[in-house]
Amino acid sequence: MDEVVLENVDKAFGKVKALDRVSIKVVRGELFTILGPSGCGKTTTLRVIAGFEIPDSGRVYIDGVDVTFKKPYERSTAMVFQNYALWPHMSVFDNISYGLKLRGYSEAEIKRRVGWALELLDLKGLEKRYPLQLSGGQQQRVALARALVVEPKVLLLDEPLSNLDARLRLRVREEIVSLQKKLGITTIYVTHDQEEAMSISDRIAVMDRGRVVQVGTPWEVYNKPVNYFVATFMGRSNTLNGIVLERVSEELYEVDVKGLKLYGVAPGGGGLDRGLNVAVVIRPESLRRAGEDEKVNIIEGFVRRVSLLGYTLQVRVDLGNGASVTAYLPPKESVEAGERVRLYASPEEVKLYPAGEVEEEMQA
Amino acid sequence: MARNSIGALLRRFFFLIDAPLALLLAFTITMFVLILVIPLLTVFLGPSVKVSLEVLEGFRRYPYLAWPPLGEWVVVSDRGDYKLVIVRLKDLGVIPNTLIVASTVTLLTTIVGVFMASIVARYDFPGRGLFRALAVIPLLYTPFVNAFVLYKVFGDGGILGQAMLSLGLGYSLELTHLAGVIVAQTLMFWPIVYLNTLASILQVDPSLEEQAENMGARGLRLFTSVTLPLSLPGVLAGSGLVFLFSMEDLAAPLAFKVNNVVPIRIVSSIIGARDIELLSVEVAILAGALLLVALTWLMVIRTYLSLRHYAMIVRGGRWQPRVFKPSPLMYALIYLVAAPLLLISISPQVGVLTYAFSKSWLGVLPSGFTLDNFQYIFRDDMVVRALRNSVMYSAIALAFIVIMGVASAYFVNRVRVVGVSLLDFLVMSPLVIPGLSIAMGLLLLYSSGPLKGTLIDPFSNPMILIILAYAIRKSPFTTRAVYAGLQQVHQALEEAGMNLGASRTRVLLGIVVPLIGLNVLAGALISFVYCMTEVSVSVVLGALKPDQAPITYVIFDYLTAGYGGGAYVHVAAAIVALILFVQIVAIFTTNYILKYRYAFLGL
Repeated sequence: MDEVVLENVDKAFGKVKALDRVSIKVVRGELFTILGPSGCGKTTTLRVIAGFEIPDSGRVYIDGVDVTFKKPYERSTAMVFQNYALWPHMSVFDNISYGLKLRGYSEAEIKRRVGWALELLDLKGLEKRYPLQLSGGQQQRVALARALVVEPKVLLLDEPLSNLDARLRLRVREEIVSLQKKLGITTIYVTHDQEEAMSISDRIAVMDRGRVVQVGTPWEVYNKPVNYFVATFMGRSNTLNGIVLERVSEELYEVDVKGLKLYGVAPGGGGLDRGLNVAVVIRPESLRRAGEDEKVNIIEGFVRRVSLLGYTLQVRVDLGNGASVTAYLPPKESVEAGERVRLYASPEEVKLYPAGEVEEEMQA
Repeated sequence: MARNSIGALLRRFFFLIDAPLALLLAFTITMFVLILVIPLLTVFLGPSVKVSLEVLEGFRRYPYLAWPPLGEWVVVSDRGDYKLVIVRLKDLGVIPNTLIVASTVTLLTTIVGVFMASIVARYDFPGRGLFRALAVIPLLYTPFVNAFVLYKVFGDGGILGQAMLSLGLGYSLELTHLAGVIVAQTLMFWPIVYLNTLASILQVDPSLEEQAENMGARGLRLFTSVTLPLSLPGVLAGSGLVFLFSMEDLAAPLAFKVNNVVPIRIVSSIIGARDIELLSVEVAILAGALLLVALTWLMVIRTYLSLRHYAMIVRGGRWQPRVFKPSPLMYALIYLVAAPLLLISISPQVGVLTYAFSKSWLGVLPSGFTLDNFQYIFRDDMVVRALRNSVMYSAIALAFIVIMGVASAYFVNRVRVVGVSLLDFLVMSPLVIPGLSIAMGLLLLYSSGPLKGTLIDPFSNPMILIILAYAIRKSPFTTRAVYAGLQQVHQALEEAGMNLGASRTRVLLGIVVPLIGLNVLAGALISFVYCMTEVSVSVVLGALKPDQAPITYVIFDYLTAGYGGGAYVHVAAAIVALILFVQIVAIFTTNYILKYRYAFLGL
């Protein structure tokens, strides 16, 4: 059952196209993340769902009802704002009970429900405080309580962790996920942090320049990025320039990277013509030391720089043809600068995208 | 396609606001159209359509331009044991006089204001705090009487001349006629430039100056190449307003006995008129000319500044300002030029109190401390009634002002639809439109045609139009304060409310207004004081029916009746002293509740 549906939503601010035919289906009860760099339209999408913006064209449905032109207060969504938007002149209790009062609950019922929210978010004893007397983490929980207490159909979270310090961020992230699973509330989560998105989401929509470019589980988005943007936005990656030599099989292509021959796949769908310029994308963790007997997909060069990052050994390798790659090797591996290394990447880890996509990205 | 986009626009409009808010907005716009836009159009169109031939005739009949100029620049007369030098300037006709005075005053106030501001902003000298405090005093409103005090200082038999004689210089100096007006207005208005410039300089990021110094600029070079250009918005805001104020100032020409300037000509034609038909065409022409010049001037200024900029320019600086020890030359300039100038500039306020508490003031010093003047005004029915009128009119106007101010500021700041900038322009425009032109427009529009003889006809009932004109003219002060408050309230605070189920009106009343309540209060206090001291509309419309006139008309009446320095000046001064008291209370209140330092001052 789809809880929130966007159908071909367009939205322009002046000449800037913020949303370009955005279509999304969010399933009831899932934690759905909208991920993308700043300016990609993710917050605008959230604001369209909340009703703070109306689309220029297209439709928005919540729980099967067309809410495209409904006012924000007529939609049963509850949003947690990036800066929490707690009313500084109201106590924690008044902030949380605001929505309940508007819904005309009795005083006893309001007390009961606020009590439930305070308990749920571990805010007991703070109800008489004012927002400015709270720590960042507490403010965040009050904002969550205020949103959850009205039992919305959809919970909207706009970069909820961005104002917390790094240590707290990890903890609150886990809290949000467990709360969401416990309540089973349909949640749309906006972030620019791909690691955050991967760790919490049931599904992710990756946005770029107003368009939704890929929707899928974290695994799909990470391992089968449909275009160059997704491939390079999710995690780190090496990009090399190549030319298609031959289509070896249904899936496999042979490319030439300035004399270096590699086999790779084209996850974007559609065939790549012989002679086409392509971006060859290889993740650092897809590279490993090649075995003696391995003869294909060997990337060879001199180590320029080695840095131990703790969980991995980051090795920068000059290929000798002007190009270079970064590889993540096991931290116990012994490699030294100046040494010659042979690296291997399996063909399914070598991803090919038409070079046109890269240029498009560069211009954006 | 066009239909479609209009439909989309309307849909967007009603998506953004709800019915009560739309109603408030419609009310505000209607008020501005009825009390500002249509009356001003009437000033232009009324006379030109009806009596265009008479206008041409008028140009021949009235000396709009006197050529060759009349009178003398300077008169030196031998008084036996001394020589009397009277600087008066030649009379070039009513419109050139007005323009020349306004331009000269603008130039002089800009020089003085920028000089004073740069001293206060950049130098640390003993007495700087006192200097800053005193520089605010000239901005306290003392309608009409301020100019009479300056006449007492510079004019015929003035303190300046007598002081020169007693020093035995063998010369005595008097400034009269246009020269007197120019000096008086310069002393009255330079603090407007000063304050706006000061606020601007204090907002200049110190690192920008430090960068210039780092590259070798210093002293005057640094000031003219970095500091001044960056402060230009403040300078222009201040001097732009001075030009407009000078053009419609009644006080200085009245005190220095200059009849041949636009504002005096307009008012003196209206006084005594009992019917619209009896008004001379000349009045409408002059009011139109005033408006035309003001609008042209406004267009010039607006190429550099937006009105919104006016609003923000007068708030305090955010950085720790850079201050230096003055050089010996600078010390000399501060104590020998700036300080005396400042002391003369606060003489009107000091003089008002001197007049108010004295029996007579003929020589250099007043004589006979007394409270009689105050007793007198409370026994005079006309004064008591006018005071009551003013308080009542201002209070009613204030209700309109708060409603219109909150509605328009909220709309301009929060609702992004096409035409919002036009609304912004409309609601801020009374700051720069001459009050005399508005008064004339109201008079012409509401006393003729189908409205003649109705309840709103100013000849039978000026009260209603006075109240509405107060509301329009003085609303920008509240609008501006509310706007400044709204900028501090993050939009997400409202969206959070709507998201939880509150309508926009409910959010406005329940979340926004409580958060900006102090701004509304401060703005309302400012507007109230400015209503109480409003001159142009009060005098023009008040003159039509003195028993409905507000207090400023009565002050004007006392001064024109008691011409030549009789006891009437003392009585008028006593009334002004009361108004002064109200202002000081209001300023301290706003400062206390808001730390709203400059709220009263720049415009």
